[in-house]
Amino acid sequence: MFAKGTNKGFLGWMIFGIAMLALPLFASSATVRIFVFANYIAIFAISWDVLSGRTGYISFGHPFLIGIGGYTTALLTHHLDMPLYITIPAAVLVTMIAGTLFFLPALRIRGTYFALVTLAFMELMYGLVQVVAPDITGGTRGLTGLPSIVTGAVSNYYLSFGVMFTLGLAMWLLIRTRLGTALGSIGMNEEAVRACGLNTTKLKLFAFTLSAMIAGLGGAMYIHYLGSIAPRGLFDVSFLFTILVACLLGGAGTITGPIMGAFFLTLLLEFLRPYIPGSERYLIYGVATLVLYVLQPRGIHRLIQITVNWFVEGFMRRKST
Amino acid sequence: MSYFTENKGFDTLSATSENRPQPMLEARGLTKSFGGLMATKNVSLHVNPGESLGIIGPNGAGKTTLLNLLTKEITPDQGSVFLNGNCIDRLSIHKRVLAGLARTYQVPRPFHDLTIQEHIRVGMMPDGLFDMLLHGADDEKELKIAESVGLGGERAQQYPYELAMGDLRRLELVRTLATEPSILLLDEVFAGLTVKEIDQISELLTNRRATHSTTYMIVSHDLKALEPLVDRVVVINFGEVMTEGTFREVVADTDVQNAYLGTGWEQE
Repeated sequence: MFAKGTNKGFLGWMIFGIAMLALPLFASSATVRIFVFANYIAIFAISWDVLSGRTGYISFGHPFLIGIGGYTTALLTHHLDMPLYITIPAAVLVTMIAGTLFFLPALRIRGTYFALVTLAFMELMYGLVQVVAPDITGGTRGLTGLPSIVTGAVSNYYLSFGVMFTLGLAMWLLIRTRLGTALGSIGMNEEAVRACGLNTTKLKLFAFTLSAMIAGLGGAMYIHYLGSIAPRGLFDVSFLFTILVACLLGGAGTITGPIMGAFFLTLLLEFLRPYIPGSERYLIYGVATLVLYVLQPRGIHRLIQITVNWFVEGFMRRKST
Repeated sequence: MSYFTENKGFDTLSATSENRPQPMLEARGLTKSFGGLMATKNVSLHVNPGESLGIIGPNGAGKTTLLNLLTKEITPDQGSVFLNGNCIDRLSIHKRVLAGLARTYQVPRPFHDLTIQEHIRVGMMPDGLFDMLLHGADDEKELKIAESVGLGGERAQQYPYELAMGDLRRLELVRTLATEPSILLLDEVFAGLTVKEIDQISELLTNRRATHSTTYMIVSHDLKALEPLVDRVVVINFGEVMTEGTFREVVADTDVQNAYLGTGWEQE
């Protein structure tokens, strides 16, 4: 069912999982909170990667999907006092439906046009929540006092990590099936995929719905972690770029790469904060990103793969001599 | 489930009434213009089951456009396409492939991050999402198909960037063969190949025809390579069918020589 090498990769996931589970045992509460944020960025990066990383349809509109999920649960809990076990699944469902309705026509266009149309959706959403019924959406100031799913840094860490790990592993396994190969081949040459007898519209729609589901779930959980929602925070270009850079830097299309990218970016920024408290640290963030990208355009994922292979081959050579 | 649409009133039996077998693939009056340029004009032709048809003509004559119209990569302004007597005008590209009509491209279109074996996997992919998700790849069958075109063994794990043009053509061919076509449209399959590579591809096509009775429509400028592979040739010029006949008849035609071949080709 899965491609070769899955067992070796699965071992990597298990090591990563155990290390992350043990983290709160020796990390401070502040560090754990940084990791909570990294987990959420990783969820959004996974969502982007399932669609854009695999099929090559670069979406600039993921904050739009995250926003739909976030606003759905925020409105339901804030105005109707509905419990989270109803509002979060509802948010996922609404994101999948609304996202599909909006993005379906966009799937007929490609390349830069697709990216721009999805960017327009994000801007449209930004405008709509501020102008249309601001007394309900909270307008520019958004909504505050939203209930938390769990309380405390460690609980939030385990919750966010559990969701990120489950989604990441599931998507990683998915891309190692024949369906994953088919999705990946769309990004390489869509005409050739059609010429192989595959219905690319159906495949793209599947990837999009899956991506929207993850974005909706991540968005809903994220705003309950923050306890508030505001259009400026969600529909901001820098939020979009954080997701995009995490994916590209980590290695788009690999699922594990975007997770690595999300952790790298979040941790880099946060650990630089004590030394460079001002916005100058974004300069280092930019330079580090640029250097890494020039060094290995296929991302941290590939860089790690090469390094591990180098060590393994060296070890095998030494063992044989 | 049938992938064919209704007949739309065309007389599919007319062929039988003319004492020739029902064609496997038939184009009737295919017309396509791009702005003021008429790329194909009322093109009608057919390929019989098990037959190998050559399509020749000068550059820009409309040969590739004709293939694109047959596979629906371009929608015709007028005319219809029939597969085994059934009108397939409403079938999309991928459904035509599922119905048995597959093609290769003039410029190979490999998947840059997939190995040769994975290319075959895409060609063999089932139509349903759940089938793709739940059923693993058939490694043995994939490697057997790769072997059939000389890309088996360790070579099956090579990536397109490691391959020479001749192997890229074979890769394109094997990916298409993995869809199990009943008729294969080959667009400039010999372009950019060395003499040795042309011989290898020719041998492969001949063997395939002998073992699988595959029907071919071959577009090529390489007439020497084409001659032993085809039963009949259609000449296209300025988007229209100029003439058709056996290879020898066509190359002896003065109009074809004037329009495309030049004089003295027959004596070579």
